[in-house]
Amino acid sequence: MAGSSSQNSHRNPAAPASPPEVGSGLTKVLPGALVLLLVSAGLGIAVDRLSPRGIPLLPRPAEEARSEAALPLPPGLVAMSLEQARAAFDAQSALFLDAREPQEYEQGHLPDALNLPPSDFEERFLDVADQVQGAESLVVYCEGIECSDAIETAERLLETGRTQVYVFEAGWKAWVSAGGPAAKGPEP
Amino acid sequence: MEGLGERRRPGGKRPGAMSRRSVAAWLGHPLVGAVCRLLIGGIFIYTSLPKLLRPDEFARLVAGYRILHPDLVNLVGVTLPWMELIAGACLVIGILPQSSAALIAGMLAVFIGAGLLALARGLEISCGCFFPIGGDRLTWVTLLRDAVLLVLALQPLVWPSSFMRGRRG
Repeated sequence: MAGSSSQNSHRNPAAPASPPEVGSGLTKVLPGALVLLLVSAGLGIAVDRLSPRGIPLLPRPAEEARSEAALPLPPGLVAMSLEQARAAFDAQSALFLDAREPQEYEQGHLPDALNLPPSDFEERFLDVADQVQGAESLVVYCEGIECSDAIETAERLLETGRTQVYVFEAGWKAWVSAGGPAAKGPEP
Repeated sequence: MEGLGERRRPGGKRPGAMSRRSVAAWLGHPLVGAVCRLLIGGIFIYTSLPKLLRPDEFARLVAGYRILHPDLVNLVGVTLPWMELIAGACLVIGILPQSSAALIAGMLAVFIGAGLLALARGLEISCGCFFPIGGDRLTWVTLLRDAVLLVLALQPLVWPSSFMRGRRG
Protein backbone atom coordinates (compact mmCIF):
# COMPACT_ATOMS: atom_id res chain seq x y z
CA MET A 1 0.00 0.00 0.00
CA ALA A 2 2.79 2.39 0.87
CA GLY A 3 4.34 1.78 -2.49
CA SER A 4 1.15 2.43 -4.42
CA SER A 5 0.37 5.58 -2.42
CA SER A 6 3.85 6.84 -3.11
CA GLN A 7 3.41 6.24 -6.78
CA ASN A 8 0.07 8.04 -6.71
CA SER A 9 1.67 11.06 -5.12
CA HIS A 10 4.17 11.12 -7.98
CA ARG A 11 1.35 11.19 -10.48
CA ASN A 12 -0.58 13.87 -8.63
CA PRO A 13 1.56 16.58 -7.01
CA ALA A 14 -1.38 17.91 -4.96
CA ALA A 15 -1.85 14.57 -3.20
CA PRO A 16 -0.49 14.24 0.34
CA ALA A 17 2.98 12.75 0.46
CA SER A 18 3.55 9.56 2.40
CA PRO A 19 5.70 9.70 5.53
CA PRO A 20 9.28 8.74 4.61
CA GLU A 21 10.91 5.68 6.07
CA VAL A 22 12.66 6.63 9.29
CA GLY A 23 16.13 5.28 8.53
CA SER A 24 16.50 6.67 5.03
CA GLY A 25 14.76 9.89 6.07
CA LEU A 26 17.29 10.57 8.82
CA THR A 27 20.28 10.01 6.55
CA LYS A 28 18.84 12.60 4.15
CA VAL A 29 17.83 15.12 6.78
CA LEU A 30 20.65 15.08 9.34
CA PRO A 31 23.54 16.18 7.08
CA GLY A 32 21.46 19.18 5.99
CA ALA A 33 20.64 20.01 9.61
CA LEU A 34 24.33 19.76 10.49
CA VAL A 35 25.23 22.13 7.64
CA LEU A 36 22.61 24.64 8.83
CA LEU A 37 23.91 24.35 12.39
CA LEU A 38 27.54 24.93 11.36
CA VAL A 39 26.69 27.81 9.02
CA SER A 40 24.61 29.48 11.76
CA ALA A 41 27.35 29.03 14.36
CA GLY A 42 30.01 30.38 11.99
CA LEU A 43 27.86 33.35 11.04
CA GLY A 44 27.02 34.08 14.67
CA ILE A 45 30.68 34.05 15.70
CA ALA A 46 31.75 36.16 12.69
CA VAL A 47 29.04 38.78 13.30
CA ASP A 48 29.84 38.86 17.00
CA ARG A 49 33.52 39.55 16.25
CA LEU A 50 32.63 42.41 13.88
CA SER A 51 29.71 43.92 15.79
CA PRO A 52 30.17 46.72 18.34
CA ARG A 53 27.54 44.89 20.41
CA GLY A 54 29.64 41.73 20.32
CA ILE A 55 30.47 39.90 23.54
CA PRO A 56 33.63 37.89 24.34
CA LEU A 57 33.08 34.27 23.33
CA LEU A 58 35.02 33.08 26.33
CA PRO A 59 34.69 34.99 29.58
CA ARG A 60 37.90 36.92 30.16
CA PRO A 61 39.98 35.84 33.13
CA ALA A 62 38.89 37.94 36.10
CA GLU A 63 42.32 39.54 36.52
CA GLU A 64 42.33 40.73 32.89
CA ALA A 65 38.83 42.13 33.09
CA ARG A 66 39.49 44.11 36.23
CA SER A 67 39.65 47.85 36.16
CA GLU A 68 43.05 49.41 36.73
CA ALA A 69 41.54 51.43 39.55
CA ALA A 70 40.62 48.28 41.48
CA LEU A 71 42.52 47.45 44.63
CA PRO A 72 44.80 44.41 44.42
CA LEU A 73 43.09 41.25 45.57
CA PRO A 74 44.79 39.00 48.14
CA PRO A 75 45.43 35.38 47.10
CA GLY A 76 42.36 33.18 47.30
CA LEU A 77 39.91 35.90 46.35
CA VAL A 78 38.39 36.12 42.89
CA ALA A 79 37.07 39.31 41.29
CA MET A 80 33.55 39.33 39.90
CA SER A 81 32.35 41.76 37.24
CA LEU A 82 28.99 43.52 37.18
CA GLU A 83 27.75 41.15 34.47
CA GLN A 84 28.83 38.10 36.41
CA ALA A 85 27.27 39.46 39.59
CA ARG A 86 24.02 40.10 37.76
CA ALA A 87 24.06 36.58 36.32
CA ALA A 88 24.72 35.07 39.76
CA PHE A 89 21.95 37.21 41.24
CA ASP A 90 19.43 36.22 38.56
CA ALA A 91 20.35 32.58 38.87
CA GLN A 92 20.30 32.78 42.66
CA SER A 93 23.53 30.84 42.59
CA ALA A 94 25.32 32.87 45.26
CA LEU A 95 24.72 34.52 48.61
CA PHE A 96 25.41 38.25 48.43
CA LEU A 97 27.05 39.94 51.41
CA ASP A 98 27.04 43.70 51.86
CA ALA A 99 30.25 44.77 53.61
CA ARG A 100 29.16 48.36 54.20
CA GLU A 101 28.10 49.78 57.55
CA PRO A 102 24.51 49.06 58.71
CA GLN A 103 23.32 52.65 58.04
CA GLU A 104 24.45 52.44 54.40
CA TYR A 105 22.98 48.95 54.10
CA GLU A 106 19.59 50.15 55.35
CA GLN A 107 19.52 52.96 52.80
CA GLY A 108 19.76 50.44 49.96
CA HIS A 109 21.23 47.03 49.20
CA LEU A 110 20.87 44.07 46.87
CA PRO A 111 17.66 42.14 47.63
CA ASP A 112 18.34 39.24 50.04
CA ALA A 113 21.91 40.41 50.68
CA LEU A 114 23.12 40.02 54.27
CA ASN A 115 25.00 42.79 56.06
CA LEU A 116 28.50 41.75 57.15
CA PRO A 117 30.83 44.73 57.66
CA PRO A 118 34.46 43.95 58.57
CA SER A 119 34.27 46.37 61.52
CA ASP A 120 31.78 44.10 63.29
CA PHE A 121 32.68 40.79 61.66
CA GLU A 122 32.94 38.50 64.71
CA GLU A 123 29.58 39.42 66.19
CA ARG A 124 27.66 39.65 62.92
CA PHE A 125 29.15 36.43 61.57
CA LEU A 126 27.46 34.47 64.36
CA ASP A 127 24.08 35.67 63.10
CA VAL A 128 24.68 34.73 59.48
CA ALA A 129 27.02 31.73 59.87
CA ASP A 130 24.41 29.14 58.90
CA GLN A 131 23.49 30.93 55.68
CA VAL A 132 27.12 31.66 54.84
CA GLN A 133 28.21 28.05 55.34
CA GLY A 134 25.20 26.71 53.45
CA ALA A 135 25.65 28.90 50.36
CA GLU A 136 27.23 27.48 47.22
CA SER A 137 29.32 30.62 46.71
CA LEU A 138 29.62 34.04 48.30
CA VAL A 139 29.74 37.42 46.62
CA VAL A 140 30.91 40.31 48.78
CA TYR A 141 30.50 43.94 47.77
CA CYS A 142 30.83 47.40 49.23
CA GLU A 143 30.23 50.89 47.86
CA GLY A 144 32.42 50.76 44.77
CA ILE A 145 35.77 50.03 43.26
CA GLU A 146 37.68 52.28 45.65
CA CYS A 147 36.43 50.78 48.94
CA SER A 148 38.25 47.98 50.73
CA ASP A 149 35.48 46.72 53.05
CA ALA A 150 34.44 43.96 50.66
CA ILE A 151 38.01 42.68 50.40
CA GLU A 152 38.42 42.72 54.18
CA THR A 153 35.16 40.85 54.78
CA ALA A 154 36.04 38.39 52.02
CA GLU A 155 39.43 37.73 53.61
CA ARG A 156 37.80 37.07 56.96
CA LEU A 157 35.44 34.64 55.27
CA LEU A 158 38.39 32.77 53.79
CA GLU A 159 39.83 32.54 57.29
CA THR A 160 36.63 30.78 58.44
CA GLY A 161 37.40 28.05 55.91
CA ARG A 162 34.97 29.20 53.25
CA THR A 163 35.93 28.78 49.61
CA GLN A 164 34.35 30.25 46.47
CA VAL A 165 34.41 33.78 47.84
CA TYR A 166 34.08 36.44 45.14
CA VAL A 167 34.52 40.18 45.38
CA PHE A 168 32.06 42.19 43.32
CA GLU A 169 34.42 45.11 42.96
CA ALA A 170 32.24 47.57 41.07
CA GLY A 171 29.89 47.28 44.03
CA TRP A 172 26.70 49.01 45.01
CA LYS A 173 27.22 52.17 42.93
CA ALA A 174 27.66 50.24 39.68
CA TRP A 175 24.76 47.95 40.56
CA VAL A 176 22.39 50.88 41.03
CA SER A 177 23.71 52.67 37.92
CA ALA A 178 23.03 49.56 35.86
CA GLY A 179 19.44 49.49 37.11
CA GLY A 180 19.90 46.39 39.25
CA PRO A 181 17.11 45.49 41.70
CA ALA A 182 17.44 47.00 45.18
CA ALA A 183 15.89 46.71 48.61
CA LYS A 184 15.81 49.06 51.59
CA GLY A 185 15.66 48.71 55.35
CA PRO A 186 17.32 46.47 57.94
CA GLU A 187 17.88 42.77 57.51
CA PRO A 188 14.72 40.69 57.84
CA MET B 1 -9.51 -7.89 18.87
CA GLU B 2 -11.12 -9.03 15.64
CA GLY B 3 -12.36 -12.21 17.24
CA LEU B 4 -14.11 -10.30 20.00
CA GLY B 5 -17.02 -9.06 17.98
CA GLU B 6 -15.43 -6.72 15.46
CA ARG B 7 -16.14 -8.54 12.25
CA ARG B 8 -14.37 -7.45 9.08
CA ARG B 9 -16.65 -7.09 6.09
CA PRO B 10 -15.50 -9.13 3.09
CA GLY B 11 -13.54 -6.83 0.82
CA GLY B 12 -14.07 -3.92 3.23
CA LYS B 13 -11.66 -1.94 5.39
CA ARG B 14 -11.61 -1.69 9.17
CA PRO B 15 -13.12 1.60 10.40
CA GLY B 16 -10.08 2.22 12.69
CA ALA B 17 -7.66 1.79 9.82
CA MET B 18 -9.76 4.11 7.67
CA SER B 19 -9.79 6.88 10.26
CA ARG B 20 -6.06 6.52 10.90
CA ARG B 21 -5.43 6.76 7.20
CA SER B 22 -7.67 9.78 6.79
CA VAL B 23 -5.98 11.53 9.76
CA ALA B 24 -2.59 10.78 8.20
CA ALA B 25 -3.85 12.08 4.84
CA TRP B 26 -5.09 15.25 6.53
CA LEU B 27 -1.84 15.76 8.45
CA GLY B 28 0.14 15.17 5.28
CA HIS B 29 -1.91 17.58 3.21
CA PRO B 30 0.32 20.13 1.42
CA LEU B 31 -1.71 23.04 2.80
CA VAL B 32 -1.29 21.85 6.40
CA GLY B 33 2.42 21.50 5.71
CA ALA B 34 2.63 25.03 4.32
CA VAL B 35 0.79 26.48 7.34
CA CYS B 36 3.06 24.62 9.78
CA ARG B 37 6.19 25.75 7.94
CA LEU B 38 5.12 29.40 7.78
CA LEU B 39 3.97 29.40 11.40
CA ILE B 40 7.00 27.71 12.93
CA GLY B 41 9.50 29.44 10.65
CA GLY B 42 7.87 32.81 11.31
CA ILE B 43 7.89 32.32 15.08
CA PHE B 44 11.57 31.34 15.04
CA ILE B 45 12.51 34.36 12.90
CA TYR B 46 10.52 36.65 15.20
CA THR B 47 12.01 35.28 18.43
CA SER B 48 15.57 35.38 17.09
CA LEU B 49 15.62 39.13 16.38
CA PRO B 50 15.76 40.60 19.92
CA LYS B 51 18.36 38.00 20.87
CA LEU B 52 20.50 39.00 17.88
CA LEU B 53 20.29 42.64 18.96
CA ARG B 54 21.14 41.96 22.63
CA PRO B 55 23.52 38.98 22.78
CA ASP B 56 24.79 40.09 26.20
CA GLU B 57 21.33 40.01 27.73
CA PHE B 58 20.48 36.72 26.06
CA ALA B 59 23.72 35.16 27.33
CA ARG B 60 22.78 36.28 30.85
CA LEU B 61 19.44 34.50 30.51
CA VAL B 62 21.17 31.36 29.24
CA ALA B 63 23.41 31.49 32.33
CA GLY B 64 20.26 31.73 34.47
CA TYR B 65 19.35 28.13 33.56
CA ARG B 66 22.53 27.00 35.39
CA ILE B 67 23.05 24.08 33.02
CA LEU B 68 25.98 25.14 30.85
CA HIS B 69 29.54 25.62 31.99
CA PRO B 70 30.22 29.40 32.26
CA ASP B 71 32.78 29.15 29.44
CA LEU B 72 30.04 27.99 27.04
CA VAL B 73 27.37 30.51 27.96
CA ASN B 74 28.53 33.34 25.69
CA LEU B 75 29.15 30.98 22.78
CA VAL B 76 25.58 29.71 23.01
CA GLY B 77 24.30 33.27 23.48
CA VAL B 78 26.00 34.31 20.25
CA THR B 79 25.21 31.31 18.04
CA LEU B 80 21.76 30.10 19.14
CA PRO B 81 19.84 33.17 17.83
CA TRP B 82 21.47 32.69 14.40
CA MET B 83 20.41 29.06 14.37
CA GLU B 84 16.85 30.16 15.10
CA LEU B 85 16.94 32.81 12.36
CA ILE B 86 18.52 30.65 9.66
CA ALA B 87 16.47 27.54 10.40
CA GLY B 88 13.29 29.65 10.52
CA ALA B 89 14.10 31.47 7.27
CA CYS B 90 15.05 28.25 5.45
CA LEU B 91 11.80 26.63 6.59
CA VAL B 92 9.72 29.56 5.33
CA ILE B 93 11.58 29.96 2.03
CA GLY B 94 11.84 26.24 1.38
CA ILE B 95 15.59 25.71 1.45
CA LEU B 96 16.33 22.33 3.03
CA PRO B 97 12.88 22.37 4.66
CA GLN B 98 13.16 18.95 6.28
CA SER B 99 16.62 19.68 7.68
CA SER B 100 15.41 23.06 8.97
CA ALA B 101 12.43 21.39 10.61
CA ALA B 102 14.76 18.81 12.17
CA LEU B 103 17.03 21.55 13.54
CA ILE B 104 14.05 23.46 14.93
CA ALA B 105 12.60 20.29 16.47
CA GLY B 106 16.00 19.61 18.05
CA MET B 107 16.18 23.12 19.46
CA LEU B 108 12.65 22.84 20.86
CA ALA B 109 13.49 19.50 22.45
CA VAL B 110 16.55 21.11 24.10
CA PHE B 111 14.46 24.09 25.27
CA ILE B 112 11.90 21.73 26.81
CA GLY B 113 14.62 19.67 28.51
CA ALA B 114 16.35 22.77 29.89
CA GLY B 115 13.03 24.20 31.06
CA LEU B 116 12.10 20.94 32.79
CA LEU B 117 15.44 20.88 34.60
CA ALA B 118 15.10 24.53 35.67
CA LEU B 119 11.56 24.07 36.96
CA ALA B 120 12.46 20.83 38.71
CA ARG B 121 15.23 22.70 40.52
CA GLY B 122 12.80 25.43 41.54
CA LEU B 123 14.51 28.20 39.54
CA GLU B 124 12.42 31.30 38.96
CA ILE B 125 13.92 32.67 35.76
CA SER B 126 12.95 34.29 32.51
CA CYS B 127 12.63 31.83 29.67
CA GLY B 128 14.24 34.20 27.15
CA CYS B 129 11.73 33.16 24.52
CA PHE B 130 9.96 36.25 23.23
CA PHE B 131 10.40 40.00 23.00
CA PRO B 132 11.28 41.76 25.24
CA ILE B 133 13.98 39.37 26.36
CA GLY B 134 13.52 38.56 30.00
CA GLY B 135 9.87 39.57 30.09
CA ASP B 136 8.61 36.02 29.77
CA ARG B 137 8.77 33.97 32.97
CA LEU B 138 9.58 30.27 32.64
CA THR B 139 6.53 28.25 33.72
CA TRP B 140 4.86 24.98 32.84
CA VAL B 141 2.82 26.91 30.26
CA THR B 142 6.09 27.81 28.53
CA LEU B 143 6.95 24.12 28.23
CA LEU B 144 3.46 23.27 26.99
CA ARG B 145 3.80 25.97 24.33
CA ASP B 146 7.17 24.56 23.28
CA ALA B 147 5.66 21.07 23.12
CA VAL B 148 2.90 22.31 20.78
CA LEU B 149 5.51 24.01 18.59
CA LEU B 150 7.53 20.78 18.58
CA VAL B 151 4.53 18.83 17.29
CA LEU B 152 3.98 21.45 14.57
CA ALA B 153 7.68 21.28 13.64
CA LEU B 154 7.42 17.53 13.14
CA GLN B 155 4.84 17.95 10.38
CA PRO B 156 7.22 19.27 7.66
CA LEU B 157 9.80 16.76 8.87
CA VAL B 158 7.54 13.73 8.48
CA TRP B 159 5.47 14.90 5.51
CA PRO B 160 7.67 16.93 3.16
CA SER B 161 5.15 19.12 1.41
CA SER B 162 4.85 19.62 -2.33
CA PHE B 163 3.65 23.18 -1.64
CA MET B 164 6.47 25.76 -1.72
CA ARG B 165 8.90 22.89 -1.77
CA GLY B 166 12.52 23.74 -2.27
CA ARG B 167 15.43 21.32 -2.32
CA ARG B 168 14.59 18.24 -0.34
CA GLY B 169 16.78 17.33 2.55
